[in-house]
This record gives sequence, structure tokens and C-alpha cells, in this order.
Amino acid sequence: MSKIKYFFEQSWLLIATSFVFGLLLAATDAALAPRIAFNERQKLTTLMSSLLPDAEEFTIAISEAQIAAGKGKMAVTDVYVGVDSQGRTLGYAFIGLGAGFQDKIRLVIAMDASGEKFLGYRVLASNETPNFGSKIKEDYFRGQFVDAPAETLELVKTGDVERIDSQIVAISGATVSSQAVLNIFNSYTRGITQQLRSEGLISDGR
Amino acid sequence: MNEIIVLLMGFLSIVIVNNLVLTKFLGICPFLGVSGRLDMALGMGLAVTFVLTLSGTLTWMIDHWILMKIGLEVARYIAFILVIASAVQLVEMYVKKFFPTLHENFGIFLPLITTNCAILGLCLFINLWGVDNLLEAVVLSFGGGVGFTMAICLMAGIREVLNLADVPKCLQGAPITLITAGLLALAFMGFAGMIKQV
Amino acid sequence: MVGKETQPDLNRTFFTGLWKENPVLRLLLGMCPTLAVTAAVRPALTMGLCVIFVLLCSNIVVSLMRNLLKPHLRILMFTLTIATFVTIADLFLKAFQPAMSEALGPYVPLIIVNCIIIGRAEACASKNTLVVSIVDALGMGLGFTLSLCVLAAVRELLDAGTIFDIRIMPQAFVPWTVMAMPAGAFITLGLLLALVNLFTRRVS
Repeated sequence: MSKIKYFFEQSWLLIATSFVFGLLLAATDAALAPRIAFNERQKLTTLMSSLLPDAEEFTIAISEAQIAAGKGKMAVTDVYVGVDSQGRTLGYAFIGLGAGFQDKIRLVIAMDASGEKFLGYRVLASNETPNFGSKIKEDYFRGQFVDAPAETLELVKTGDVERIDSQIVAISGATVSSQAVLNIFNSYTRGITQQLRSEGLISDGR
Repeated sequence: MNEIIVLLMGFLSIVIVNNLVLTKFLGICPFLGVSGRLDMALGMGLAVTFVLTLSGTLTWMIDHWILMKIGLEVARYIAFILVIASAVQLVEMYVKKFFPTLHENFGIFLPLITTNCAILGLCLFINLWGVDNLLEAVVLSFGGGVGFTMAICLMAGIREVLNLADVPKCLQGAPITLITAGLLALAFMGFAGMIKQV
Repeated sequence: MVGKETQPDLNRTFFTGLWKENPVLRLLLGMCPTLAVTAAVRPALTMGLCVIFVLLCSNIVVSLMRNLLKPHLRILMFTLTIATFVTIADLFLKAFQPAMSEALGPYVPLIIVNCIIIGRAEACASKNTLVVSIVDALGMGLGFTLSLCVLAAVRELLDAGTIFDIRIMPQAFVPWTVMAMPAGAFITLGLLLALVNLFTRRVS
């Protein structure tokens, strides 16, 4: 009995403060969690809106689509559809994740309604070399993806930046980051278009 | 086979390419403090590797099998630090009891390791990278420790020779160590991009 | 009476934390966040404010509990207190400054193992009154924030030519990219410490 008494004598403060802190944490979490979730959604929605400017709202077209992302890993991502005020589909958007130079790169990629062209991408999160890899956020590189065909893209060192086709000119001094962006596009495109076709959202005829 | 290659790549990536000290700024305090002599550096490195592997595995298990299952992510940091502190305490008691000579040589490092940002840092990074299988978590934690040991031993080797050089008064101690670390980091930048963290 | 006697003590406590025992530049504590978040002034300032918040709360709680603490459980108590307040700070950051939260990444929870906070809890808050603890926390926290901002200002200026996103260097300035990378962080801090050593030796 005295052992238990000793135990409580020594640790009552610990137990009491753990309880109080637990309550404090639970309260803060409950108060702030909705706002945090809202921030997450807001970030995604803002980027999707900049890719599909006429879209009034974005809803999930395919939730948790499984994409074979290479190296035997399966990536899971939601495919969003942007509809305008008349309910017409303007395009699809999804988050693509891949390994970059320093850390992972997270992109929001948009496709047009027919699933045949890309409408471009926005960088959701990246940690690339400043002034080199970070140029994937700039229009020199990004612009080459707008209206690019939704097929396997190829990285080239030199070429015509203005011409829109499946060849993308790399950022000089940031080949790895440029290739990383292309890898994300290439690994997600086939899987996403396949899923969209099987859901009947885009036509099968090519 | 594919699995093994992925793990091997992950190991190499965290030892060389994403070295904990030189690219992620973890474990700087012991890096500056204990890297004066090569034998002490090695001792610290080994102790850190052991604790890191243990903590990395334990925290991953607790995170995935308990916290995520019951939605208590908010208690993640508290759970991690308590696990790490307890693991270190238990390891110290165990080593003192069963390996007294080992305890004599390396024992002083163990209490210092709890506040070593490398431990908590790596556990958090494993969480951030979304590592979703236990074996990968073990390999990455072990690799993190190996990388730390390598960095601290490199630094110790350089500092031992630096002691014989004529360093200006105001640069002695921490400043010259930091500048050396900077040059090391610069050298390691050459590895960047070799193995990508998937 | 008591107020008049402790007043100079409080001033001294505050300014000690600011300069003489500046946690980063003199005591060499809390190095990890110092190097990691000082690529630009904005994240450095955010980190500094978080640390001030946690330091203040933890010092207040520990000081209030100081007579009740059992000796062999006190480190555990400190750790628990600090971890709770860091989690709260992290939640607030995620809610109100999501961009900063993402930029700072895992370095915010690393405040838990920041030697400054546990060091002050052990050395000051557990032995002194509430007011002294608060002043100490403010002094140390401010000292930390200032040194972080100075380091960040140098690095940001040389890399992006801005300080706190305000352009200072002319457009033609070629960014010194290494300053934003780990190597630049180490070297800049080393030189800054050398400068501080030089200054304090000249003065004393």
C-alpha cells in the first residue's frame, strides 16, 4: 500500500499537469482544426483556379485514384473537375508528387476537358535550389506545358521554347529539377487518363 | 529485389545526399561540441546511431499503429519526445547494468542525446516524407545515424589537424568549426541530386 | 521595497539575455534552427516569435510550479510543458500563417529540443520568482530573435537582394545563391561569431 502511496506522492504533479495539458491541447486542436483544414483546401483551390480561371467550382471527379508511380509504389491522388456556372466541364486537375533535386515536388496539374492537352501546372510545394531549380515556378519553363499534348513528354537541352509540342526545353543549370517535373507529368498522365476514360468522363476515341 | 534496391537507395541518400548534419542542420550542437577528438566523435556517433535507429523505429510504430489509428495526431510531438526520452533512459540503464565497460567509455553521451535535435528531427522527417513501411523507417533511421557519424568523424579529423594550425584568436573554437562545416557542406553539395528521395 | 531592490536585477537579467549571454552568439545554444530558418528574414522572425512564445509560457508554468517539482521528475516535467506549448504554437502557425508554417517545416516542433528553452527552465525558471522568469524569457527570446534576424538579413541580402521582401540591392545584382544553401549558412554564422568574438574582446 505504501508503495502505491509513494508512487502517487511523487508523481501527482506529473499526472495533474499531463491532464491539464491534454485538455489544453484538445481545446486548441478542436478550435483550430477546421481553420487548418480550410487553409489546405484554400491553397489547392486557389492554384486550381489560376489554371482553370473560368471554373466556378471544383468537385472531386475521382476520389483516391490509384496511379502506378514507378518503383513499385502506388500513388493515390484525387482528380478534381472544374465546372463553370453553366455546369460545363472546363477541365480536370490533380496533384502530382515526385522526387525533386532536394526534396519532393508537389504540383497541381490541369488537363483540358477532352483529356488531350495539358493546361499547365502550378507548384504546390517544392524545395529546389534557389535561383536554379526554383525556376520551375517561373513562366519560362511553366509556359511550355500550356496546351502541350497529354502524352509522354521529353526533355531537351536546347530547342524552341515558343513551340508547343511534347518536347520541353530544360532550365539551364537545373536539369534535374526540370526532369523531375517531367517525371511527375509522365508518371501520372497515363494513369489519370486511363481512369478518366474508364469512368466515362473523357471519350475513348482518338 | 526491387524492394532491396529502393531501401539501398534510401540508405545511401540519407547518408550522403541528404546528410542530416550538412544538409538538414540537425545535430549541430554535438557536432560543434564533441568533434574535437576522433575517438570521442566516433563514440558520440555510435551512440547517436544506436539511439536513432531505436527511436526512429519506435516513433514510426507509435505514429502509424496508434496515433493515426485513433486520430490523435495532435499529440504527435509529445508522444515522440516522450518515447525518445524514455528510450534513451532505458538504454542507459540497460548498458550500465550489462555492459559496464561500454558504459564507462560511451555512457556520458547518452543523456546528451535526448536533446539532440537529430533524433527528434529525423523522426519528424520520416513522418514528413510519408514513409509508409516499417523496414524503410528502420533503414532510414540507421542511415541517418551512419551519416551523422560520418560527418562528425570527418569534422573531428579536420579539427585535430586544425589544432596545429595558426588560427586567428577571434576565429578559434566555434567560428572556425562552422566555417569548416560550411566547406564540408559545400563539398557534399556535389552529391546532390544523385539519388532522389522518393 | 522589494520592488526597488529587484528593479536593477530585472534590467540586468533582461539585457544579459540580449547580449552578454545571447543564446546564439555567446552561449552557442539553439544552433539547429538558427542555421535552418535564416535563409530569409521573414521565416527567421516567425521562428523567433514562436520561440519567445514558448519560452515565455514554459518559464511562467515552470516558475509557478517550482516549489512543487520533484527533483528526479523535473526534466520530464519541463519536456512535457515545452512539448505542449510547441504543439500549440505549431497549430496556431498552421491556422493563421500556413505559408510560413510550410516554409519552416519540421523546425517548429524542433523547438522542443532547443537547448535554450530547457536550459532556461532548469537554470532560471525553476529557481526564481515569476517576474524574474518572465523577464529572463523575454531577454533570451529577444536575443535569440535578434541574432536570427541579423544572420537572416545578411543571407537574404546577399542571395535575393531583399530584406523582408523589400528590394535593397539593384536589379543587376547577381544573387549569391550559396548563401541560401547550407554551406552559406555555416560560413555566415561562423563569420558572425568571429565578429562577435572580436568585438567582445576589444571591449573587455
